[in-house]
Amino acid sequence: MRPSLQAVALWGKKAPPHSITAIMITDDQQMIVTGSQEGQLCLWNLSPELKISAKELLFGHSASVTCLARARDFSKQPYVVSATENGEMCVWNVTNGQCVEKATLPYRHTAICYYHCSFRMTGEGWLLCCGEYQDVLIIDAKTLAVVHAFTSSQSPDWINCMCIVHSMRIQEDSLLVVSVAGELKVWDLSSSINSIQEKQDIYEKESKLLKSLNCQTIRFCTYTERLLLVVFSKCWKVYDYCDFSLLLMEVSRHGQLFAGGEVIAAHRILIWTEDGHSYIYQLLNSGLSKSIHPADGGALKETIYPHLLCSTSGQENKQSGPFVMGYMNERKEPFYKVLFSGEVSGRITLWHIPDVPVSKFDGSPREIPITTTWTLQDNFDKHQTMSQSIIDHFSGLRDGAGTAVVTSSEYVPSLDKLICGCEDGTIIITQALNAVKAGLLEGDSLLKDSSPHKVLKGHHQSVTSLLYPHGLSSKLDQSWMVSGDQDSCVIWWDIFTEEILHKFFLEAGPVTSLLMSPEKFRLRGDQIICCVCSDHSVALLHLEGKRCLLRARKHLFPVRMIKWHPVENFLIVGCADDSVYIWEIETGTLERHETGERARIILNCCEDSQLLKPELVLPAASETHRHKSVEQRSSSSYQLGPVPSPGLQVESSCKVVDNESFPRPFKVLPVKTQWSYVGFHILLFDLENLVELLLPPPLRDSDPSSSFYGSEILRRAKSTVEKTMTLKKSRSACGPLSAEAQAKPVSESLAHGDNTNKFAEENDGIRRQKKMKSSKKMHLKPPRKVDANLTIDTAKLFLSCLLPWGVDEELDYLCMKHLNILKLQGPVSLGLASNEDHFSLMLPGWDLCNTELERDDSRVNLFSGKVLDLSSKYIATLPNQLVIPRGLENNCDSLQESNIIVYLLSRLFLVNKLVNTPLELAHGIDSSFKMESVHYKAKSPGNDILNISSIYGYLRNGKNEPHVPEADLSLLKLISCWRDQSVQVTEAIQAVLLAEVQQHMKTLRKTSTNSQPVPGVSAVAENGNREVLQMLPKAEWAEEIELQHMRNTLPLQS
Amino acid sequence: MATAMAVTATERAVVEEEFRWLLHYEVHSVLRQLQDILKEASLRFTLPGSSTEGPAKQENFILGSGSTDQVKGVLTLQGDTLSQADVNLKISRSNQLLHFAFREDKQWKLQQIQDARNHVSQAMYLLTSRDDSYQFKTGAEVLKLMDAVMLQLTRARNRLTTPATLTLPEIATSGLTRMFAPTLPSDLLVNVYINLNKLCLTVYQLHALQPNSTKNFRPAGGAVLHSPGAMFELGSQRLEVSHVHKVECVIPWLNDALVYFTVSLQLCQQLKDKISVFSSYQSYRPF
Repeated sequence: MRPSLQAVALWGKKAPPHSITAIMITDDQQMIVTGSQEGQLCLWNLSPELKISAKELLFGHSASVTCLARARDFSKQPYVVSATENGEMCVWNVTNGQCVEKATLPYRHTAICYYHCSFRMTGEGWLLCCGEYQDVLIIDAKTLAVVHAFTSSQSPDWINCMCIVHSMRIQEDSLLVVSVAGELKVWDLSSSINSIQEKQDIYEKESKLLKSLNCQTIRFCTYTERLLLVVFSKCWKVYDYCDFSLLLMEVSRHGQLFAGGEVIAAHRILIWTEDGHSYIYQLLNSGLSKSIHPADGGALKETIYPHLLCSTSGQENKQSGPFVMGYMNERKEPFYKVLFSGEVSGRITLWHIPDVPVSKFDGSPREIPITTTWTLQDNFDKHQTMSQSIIDHFSGLRDGAGTAVVTSSEYVPSLDKLICGCEDGTIIITQALNAVKAGLLEGDSLLKDSSPHKVLKGHHQSVTSLLYPHGLSSKLDQSWMVSGDQDSCVIWWDIFTEEILHKFFLEAGPVTSLLMSPEKFRLRGDQIICCVCSDHSVALLHLEGKRCLLRARKHLFPVRMIKWHPVENFLIVGCADDSVYIWEIETGTLERHETGERARIILNCCEDSQLLKPELVLPAASETHRHKSVEQRSSSSYQLGPVPSPGLQVESSCKVVDNESFPRPFKVLPVKTQWSYVGFHILLFDLENLVELLLPPPLRDSDPSSSFYGSEILRRAKSTVEKTMTLKKSRSACGPLSAEAQAKPVSESLAHGDNTNKFAEENDGIRRQKKMKSSKKMHLKPPRKVDANLTIDTAKLFLSCLLPWGVDEELDYLCMKHLNILKLQGPVSLGLASNEDHFSLMLPGWDLCNTELERDDSRVNLFSGKVLDLSSKYIATLPNQLVIPRGLENNCDSLQESNIIVYLLSRLFLVNKLVNTPLELAHGIDSSFKMESVHYKAKSPGNDILNISSIYGYLRNGKNEPHVPEADLSLLKLISCWRDQSVQVTEAIQAVLLAEVQQHMKTLRKTSTNSQPVPGVSAVAENGNREVLQMLPKAEWAEEIELQHMRNTLPLQS
Repeated sequence: MATAMAVTATERAVVEEEFRWLLHYEVHSVLRQLQDILKEASLRFTLPGSSTEGPAKQENFILGSGSTDQVKGVLTLQGDTLSQADVNLKISRSNQLLHFAFREDKQWKLQQIQDARNHVSQAMYLLTSRDDSYQFKTGAEVLKLMDAVMLQLTRARNRLTTPATLTLPEIATSGLTRMFAPTLPSDLLVNVYINLNKLCLTVYQLHALQPNSTKNFRPAGGAVLHSPGAMFELGSQRLEVSHVHKVECVIPWLNDALVYFTVSLQLCQQLKDKISVFSSYQSYRPF
């Protein structure tokens, strides 16, 4: 998902599964972070009263999360690092859900410790990692690159757990680890910083075999600086830190497995188990006595006895899988000691541990009650209005009994149709935009009832997969659709006539996915459908022939990859156990079966060979593929197995959407989840594309006075921005603008968005763009098919989603009246992308997480309290003498409405772009601000901000001014300032939108008495140059500016 | 298809009953089976610490190739460590016989075996945490457990089946070359690894490339086995592999372990399949 896309999630009634595998509470105790088996991170708000509410879900990992850790000094930067089963690492800013840094290393970490020694090291500190590799890796917390490693001289092995010991007494930090074989090792940490930076080998200072396996935790008692608590799965032990002599060993009873522990005070420890129980012990010193180990020669040794003080009460329903638990000791004010646990079911439980835990009077252990418990589903249940599914409202139409559970869905961009397969076997086809509007907006009952939808009835079991062949190959009939169900029945539909063209019965279990052969691969001129079934068989169907070509049934493991060999007519099937089956399609015979190295070679060489088109349709397949490339990169790589459990399938499908040939302002992205039926939809708005589409084509408006004032200017200015941004100064771009608009490839905005070093990438950028153009050519042929009404509806929906409703009643009313947009039913779940693969989605109930916001039920969808503040600042910077955009006061309603909408959208687009500008670039911008007022004329190449601000000028006043008004500059400065203050994009957008809407509506509230005559274009002309321009037709005008611009810049470039 | 629609209440009850049986009995029996197999597998790896009878026993392997006897190696394996190594190399040109052995104080850890062993014990640990007393409530729970176990088993197997691909400089600088007494001459490289069930020893004979050599210098990438003619740069010197000798020997217990991995992986998958069968019944959703 590109950062320029705006996303809104439609969650549905059921929360996506979130099987917690890692949990932590941030240092400020305001947030819980969990990592899941599905690969997402969830941010939970923790109120001062210890109430939990889920806030947002972070997407980006493609495998199960193995550990989480702090990645910076939390008071300075709220960063958390996550690591996964397949070696991905990510640093997240947990206040805004953005991914700050990512890396994929060939290591699977199971524990990470952040270490920073401010007076001895520069940079952001280190992540000390251990896992399924020997010894301890040191990874740079900022770049996520491997810095060095701690190595063992004696019996190197995997490390199970570690802890950093800061000893006040000797002013030295040490790293304590326990290996898989149960060996305790100690490395000097602070004194070896220099040697690490010089990449010298660091060997352990001490090591000792602890004689137990499966170490879970090692903790140092900072209160006594003496005791060391080591928890193994079958026992826990206390050692003397001075000489590592064993002081106490407690073996588990009743087959309980210990999972961890913590020292909570001097001589007081907390131990928890795999099944979610925990116990607080007082360690009683019984003085010196004979050693418990006769081997020590019976020397006098002190012994310690544990006394059980308290235990925590568990859930009613015990045994819901392994618990991941942790304990948090620090909190300045109010001071909480919190024991927390996360379960596979997704439940979080907190226990408030009393400062001084005591047993009952009779000495028996006291029970500590659960303080809070919460799940993601609780959020969904509590905020039903926000958890609207995309087709919820249709179920009411049908029988009124319960809502239909969508088991599969497919969005058809070319028709703007959403096809949903339901649990009861029906398939609903709706106009996506209408469905979304009915789901999100208020008071649109008319829309709800009348929204056209078709119901296809043919399946008797839940529909598990859908395929729209035309979307994959434009040569196929638009009316075709293929669906597969739980009962192994595949139906070929005509969606226009709602007719069943053919039914195939495969008798091979649920159809898990439907694929189509690539365009290159044809069997007697036709592409064929490939069905992967849950009994691991693959069936090939020939639609027109109405017959099944091949049934490949010999696979023992789930199918991960399908490839086609067009020359030899082979179907190559890669299975989860890394074996490969090659089927001959014509005869239906198994040609070869290979395993191991040879199988890998077959799959790899298929990718290289030009004859074959690798079809990485199954997300799991693409994942393992990516995975392999990582392995190849590091030569002495550590082999990671394929991951059999991909998480949510968002990622790969996101890419599919991004690669879509021609841009659309609005898309629906269905998301399926792993290990469950629960799916949801993400709406994607392409703001840039939306603005473009809304602007009328240039040739039509011959009369400039009646046309929308700013549209032309905006378009031109925008294209100037585009050009300078990508540094493309070729004249071809000055051709017909409509073509330009279409030709703008999806990734172009990305290119300049990401270009931090533009000059270096200049050539590259041009080449890329050219390539893009040529590849897009065939898609340019179909005319702009996006219906104008659809576009304006999309824009309205988008504004509805962004506006904070209920801030001002009158404003709401005016918006509804003049902009003709509808109020939201509830807050929307907005998405925020940090880069292509990483994005966050708000969860229902996110609006209650803003603690600074006072309870106000009338306010809906206000992103944060900051927004109002920002918005008033913005208004304050607006020029005092409000210039009313032309066209507002005299034109007919609908035109005026769309004018304002376009104006607002283009504003938002700019804000989005400004806030998203990378910081490196931003510094350039800042410096340009300073010189701008002085040397406005001296344009330097690549100085985008000048262009941006000049568009800004156009936008504000609807006239072409020779210099940017001071007020607008200050607005720009303000927004750039927001970016530096790490105001979130969504906040900035909403603030600007609110301010602009308020400003506009203010003019509407006033009667048109003060409507000053708007100067015509001629009034703009202040120098001769411009006068000439004015005579030119508008399209050429743009070219002229462009040329002029080039003339200015060319000498500088040469 | 009308029959499928009319799943009667009794049928539904039967299916539910069957699924309950699967969760409560069948799953545990499979898990027990898996545990037994993996226990056997891990016994092969002789986990240190768990064995009370002291250090793992030593096994000698004589490595040779059928055709020539240019290189002969006797390697002593003690669990996952190579405790002794004797390498005899007959240089065909000079008919010179070279002999190297590990220094007395040195041992070499075979990372592949250690990793495989650790993965198996991880899988075992996952299984022991769900003993007979544990009641599975959903099919998804079983599927997740199986996925986790299979991940460990696949990695264990892959560790053995895919030796690390090393570049020649990496082999040259690896600790293994520094373990011999007398020290290896600079024109010899030695590498030891596991490939499937075999312990492999490769000896590379090198010759220096003249700085003014007309040969096109192209450094070789990483490979399990480099072929003669592969070039690399070490320090300031450019070297080329002139001869490659590869000898190997089957380690019987590794063979067993690999078989156990395959069998247990299949068992896991079969259990997953059994669970998924019930997903086709609308009435009962195991997920």
